[in-house]
Amino acid sequence: MVYRLIKLSDLNLEDRRFRFTLNPVDQRLLRSVGAIGVLQPVIITARQDRQVLVDGWRRVEAARSCGLEELPALEIAENIGDLAVLLVAFFENYAKRPFSLAEKSLAIRKFYDFRLGADEIIERFLPLLELPPEGRMLELMLEVSLLGERFLEVIHRRDWKPVTVELLLGFPEAERAWLLSLIEKLTRNQQREIIENFYLLKRKTGKCLEDLAREEKLAGLTGRLLKGEISAADRLLAALREENSPLLSGLHRAIEAEVRTLGLPPKVRLDYDRALEETILRISLEAGEVTDLKEALQSLSETLEKKEWRRLFQLLHYEGE
Amino acid sequence: MAGLRIKKVWVDRKVEKDGLTRKLLDGLAGRPVEIVDSVEAVRRFIRQHSDPVGESKQHLFITAQPSFIRPCPCTPGCLGCGYWTIDLDLNCPFDCSYCILQDYLDGQPLTVAVNREQLGSELEEFFKQRPSGITRIGTGELADSLALDELTENSVFLIERFRDRPGFWLELKSKAGLPPALLRVSPADNVVLSWSLNPQAVIASEEKGTAGLEERLRAASRAVGHGYRVGFHFDPILHYPGWHQDYERVVEAIFRLVPVEAIAWVSLGSLRFPPGLLPLARRRFPQSRIYEHEFIRSAEGKYRYPRPLRQWLYRQLAEMFAGFGAEDRLYLCMETVEVWREFYGKIKRGRQNLAFPFPWQC
Repeated sequence: MVYRLIKLSDLNLEDRRFRFTLNPVDQRLLRSVGAIGVLQPVIITARQDRQVLVDGWRRVEAARSCGLEELPALEIAENIGDLAVLLVAFFENYAKRPFSLAEKSLAIRKFYDFRLGADEIIERFLPLLELPPEGRMLELMLEVSLLGERFLEVIHRRDWKPVTVELLLGFPEAERAWLLSLIEKLTRNQQREIIENFYLLKRKTGKCLEDLAREEKLAGLTGRLLKGEISAADRLLAALREENSPLLSGLHRAIEAEVRTLGLPPKVRLDYDRALEETILRISLEAGEVTDLKEALQSLSETLEKKEWRRLFQLLHYEGE
Repeated sequence: MAGLRIKKVWVDRKVEKDGLTRKLLDGLAGRPVEIVDSVEAVRRFIRQHSDPVGESKQHLFITAQPSFIRPCPCTPGCLGCGYWTIDLDLNCPFDCSYCILQDYLDGQPLTVAVNREQLGSELEEFFKQRPSGITRIGTGELADSLALDELTENSVFLIERFRDRPGFWLELKSKAGLPPALLRVSPADNVVLSWSLNPQAVIASEEKGTAGLEERLRAASRAVGHGYRVGFHFDPILHYPGWHQDYERVVEAIFRLVPVEAIAWVSLGSLRFPPGLLPLARRRFPQSRIYEHEFIRSAEGKYRYPRPLRQWLYRQLAEMFAGFGAEDRLYLCMETVEVWREFYGKIKRGRQNLAFPFPWQC
């Protein structure tokens, strides 16, 4: 590799054949480049008489934003093939930080397109990328790489796991786009749960997402979320969970209604296993002094005398469909 | 072995010259054979396939196992039944949508161990170390006990080792028919041939490659006719619209063909699976509806039907068995203490038998 200064205007930034990283330029890098310029050389190579960037996309972008005209570069000889150059880009970044799933998919796609054998990708590169060395993982990554910029950006930003992407790919393209609009701004867990729950609901009901989204319990919430009202996400999730867990949701409603009828004093709290694996009731009392404790026990005792508790225990022990 | 599709046989170099290896290769004549240094070479080959699980079922690896006998791990937080396992074969040619081996075996081919001398010695040691009480042990944990039996005749080898060992109950558990070898040997009192059962509609949709319900029950009946005891496993019990009627028919069908006295035990276990199985099964069985059910994530991390439903399923099954005087043959597989207690409280009020040995064997 030869070291030299290059003009930014000589770079063909449209040619992204070696780019698989997705991190955008951040303020810290802009401040750094603004203060001292680019010290670490980017890596370039010539293709069709133009300079193509191999590594250093963020530095180049920062340099342009800061109005620099030149920057240092290491040039790989033109006669080195695309695959060998991609390996440089890959390993140059590999040591710096873990790649997101979206970046892994793009790297794998480029290896594949540059004719690296499937066997070698599976055996050598999937383990390097902490992915299972399996043919189906290669297929999944190739599919993910084609999802489009907007999807890849969300997958990258929220650091999605393969299982979530696989579920997303289970939806037809138009439904994927709708889902993306719905979840784009949410946290990773919210995104995963909404996809999972819609997937289940769709399988259960046989309805398309458009019809599901129009249903009374969901329509208002999906509408609000599509308008950017992020606070609707948790309520949408709760509604979806209820649809997918009718037995437990029904029991929770019934138990909570029973607890309300007991009219417990404020310093007495009832709790139970939300998965209903355990059939016991936990009672906690709040007391700062002996008199508080006496009071709490007395009022609990009165409730036990006057109210019907049996139904609550029956619900905890419920067995049925 | 009907329907067994072996694309290739792989032989571990260290057993290449073993007599049983030769016999197995004769039984698989016509298939390509490759000698390898370890299972890793086979796994590597299998993993490259887009469906490694499906592919693993079509490659047979002949090897020597380092050890065979271990206690059944049950599952954390659940009450064990004191079972022991013999890991003689690994993996299974059948392709059940709910099978956890899909997730657990990770590209392991169908594996047959030929170092029977070592197994014989391990068994002798095992018999010496557990001289009193009843011990149940079986080969059906990581494989189907009888699916490859026409090829291996493991059953005959094991039956002879267990003969005249009255405290040790050998169970051969299967979804296959009855291999002829089992009818050529005289039965032993402590050998139980058992079949996993599900309604025929479930078998057809979820248990690819297995024998049908009728064939399994006829096999059980022939086994009883020959003098064996039999067992049945309702595991996994699946919940779906119409399940009650379907399972009732299965229970009725059992007792049309098998007398209650010949039944050693019947286990009940509802659908459960580790999270890793979910994406795998969804991918491999897109038509299956069993993963669309309501599940909870239990303390040990597995997905299960909610406890109220599991108890309901077990109770309904128990009532069906009670109709034939066989309710005391039932036990639960991988269930919590809470569910065992509720189950036995209702089915056998006053008799809190929470683990093996089962009351009819005390």
